[in-house]
Amino acid sequence: MYKTSFRYLNLLFFTLLVLLTFSFFLPYLFPGDLISNMSGVTPATDAQRDALERSLKLDQSIFHQFGQYLKNIYEGEWGVNKVTFLSINSEVREFLPATIELVFYALVLAIFVGIPIGVLSGIKHHGIFDFTTVSFSIAGYSFPVFWLAMIFITVFCLQLGWLPTSGRIDLLYDIPTKTGFIMIDIALSDVDYKSQAYQNAISHLILPTLSVSIVTMAIFIRFVRRSMMDVMTKEYIVAAKSRGFSTAQIVFKHGLKNSLIPILPILALQVSTLITNVMIVETIFSWPGIGKWLIEAIYQQNYPAIRIGMLVVSVLVLVMTISIEFLTRLLDPNRENVEHATV
Amino acid sequence: MQRFNHYQEEYYPSPLMHVWIEFKRSHIALAGFVILSIFIFIALFGDLIAPFDPSQQNTNAILLPPSWEPNGTIIHIFGTDSLGRDVFSRILYACQITFGVSILIVMVAAFVGVSLGVVAGLLSGLRSSIVNHLFDSIMAIPTLLIAIIIVAILGTGLSNAMLAITLALIPQFVHQTRTFVKTELQKDYVMLDKLDGASRRRIFFSSILPGMLELIVVQATLAISIAIIDISALGFLNLGATTGMTELGQMLSQSLDVAYVSPWLVTLPGLFIFLMVFSVNIVGEGLRSALRNRLKL
Repeated sequence: MYKTSFRYLNLLFFTLLVLLTFSFFLPYLFPGDLISNMSGVTPATDAQRDALERSLKLDQSIFHQFGQYLKNIYEGEWGVNKVTFLSINSEVREFLPATIELVFYALVLAIFVGIPIGVLSGIKHHGIFDFTTVSFSIAGYSFPVFWLAMIFITVFCLQLGWLPTSGRIDLLYDIPTKTGFIMIDIALSDVDYKSQAYQNAISHLILPTLSVSIVTMAIFIRFVRRSMMDVMTKEYIVAAKSRGFSTAQIVFKHGLKNSLIPILPILALQVSTLITNVMIVETIFSWPGIGKWLIEAIYQQNYPAIRIGMLVVSVLVLVMTISIEFLTRLLDPNRENVEHATV
Repeated sequence: MQRFNHYQEEYYPSPLMHVWIEFKRSHIALAGFVILSIFIFIALFGDLIAPFDPSQQNTNAILLPPSWEPNGTIIHIFGTDSLGRDVFSRILYACQITFGVSILIVMVAAFVGVSLGVVAGLLSGLRSSIVNHLFDSIMAIPTLLIAIIIVAILGTGLSNAMLAITLALIPQFVHQTRTFVKTELQKDYVMLDKLDGASRRRIFFSSILPGMLELIVVQATLAISIAIIDISALGFLNLGATTGMTELGQMLSQSLDVAYVSPWLVTLPGLFIFLMVFSVNIVGEGLRSALRNRLKL
């Protein structure tokens, strides 16, 4: 147990170090002036330039610079946005919760709808229900997420007019930002139109969540079904049957638990696809998250923002992936001896 | 003369034929194969079928609806866009780029990834662990993020988007190949080779590689569908194909402004991306189950 935790912490540490090193060298690769690529400030005078150079330790060796970079990252001094002149740290704090919120809802929806459907069609495979779900799942993971989002917009927003096209909540509702998660913010705020605000926020949330989660859901259905089918032919299931357990007992006690173990590594692999999809969907629905912020930074050639945004998003993916892998290892000790810790 | 025969059957198909016989049995997979062949045909000869030049603008026929609508004409089968360009020809050209480029990307990624994976699989100890960790940490970075960084460094353009997606696809091949080689090396037939005194290179090329081809094909179909979606996503975000080219994702993003007046401009290119990915996935799925079941015959 301690050994496993240590191994995963070790993996997390080294991967973070690789990412930090990579992001440290990015400003050298970007076109333009090194100092403004690093800090986001374009120095007006020579004195200013010298001061910036000293503060980034550009006059010293590359190891000092790297040390200074790590220190700045740790202290939250991530530089200034080239376009808005705001501190990147405060911007990330504002936009990252919106992304995490969307990822969370999409994942919850995908898990709570996808896994039961997968289990059902895995138990009664080769029936009508199974055939329908398999067709849905193959179609589901063939959808390009941006097209799905646009079809949703055309149908539900432009033609039927049921749901709003963009943003997280209407400007009419003045919800003070505390945590950055809109649902929690509404709960914390002391406005007297809470239920309307919730309705409005949920109507903004439906389409982005649905477009992200359909792809992930389809993949879950497919793998849960496959794994359920494999488990149900195992000998311990036959043994349980011959001892006279009811179908419900067999499925819930023996089948489900064993069939869900191989799902966790799949979930870990899906995290990066999920984040990519969320970034695209954010741009389409003008969801004020880190993905939209990062893609806008590209259009504006906003290099300090790209550097930090890349670091933040990949750390998010990494932490999610490694914690899922760690959870898998804890739940399934059989994997212990098979392979070493990998992402 | 009576020949000595190991088998009871008169006709014994090759392993490849076994796969085809098993694959044929699934009608859905066969239908997917037909659609995929149509796309391959378009990718090769699309510019010969196209009735118009994809960038030829006709200001007398702007935003014509497709031919099955009451106002449509048969001259422009899929109608025209906001500049009066023929959508059918544009889609044919765009399929050529999207599909052709995806296959090219996957070929390069498969070659590089499999070579690196073999090296990583044959290595052992500290070196192997360094290589593995490096590739696994690249695998954790989302494709779009790699693309954004490469575009930030090199600027937008189709070739930079291709580079980004290739880089993003390589780790998966490395991972698969490495695991495969590692498990095969433990097996008895490799031990037999070793006892016969075969060199590591010989063990790999004559014993492991033939068994690996199927794995590569299956992984490649998966990678093609990812590549199609990614290249059109980058085109959609204006990070991929530039305005001079026609690419399905880029066509979608150009039609955003007129989506309210002419929804078919959004529907049609997306439908083609969907069909492309769908057929690749069906064929991949069919191949996978054919490979799994062919020995049960």
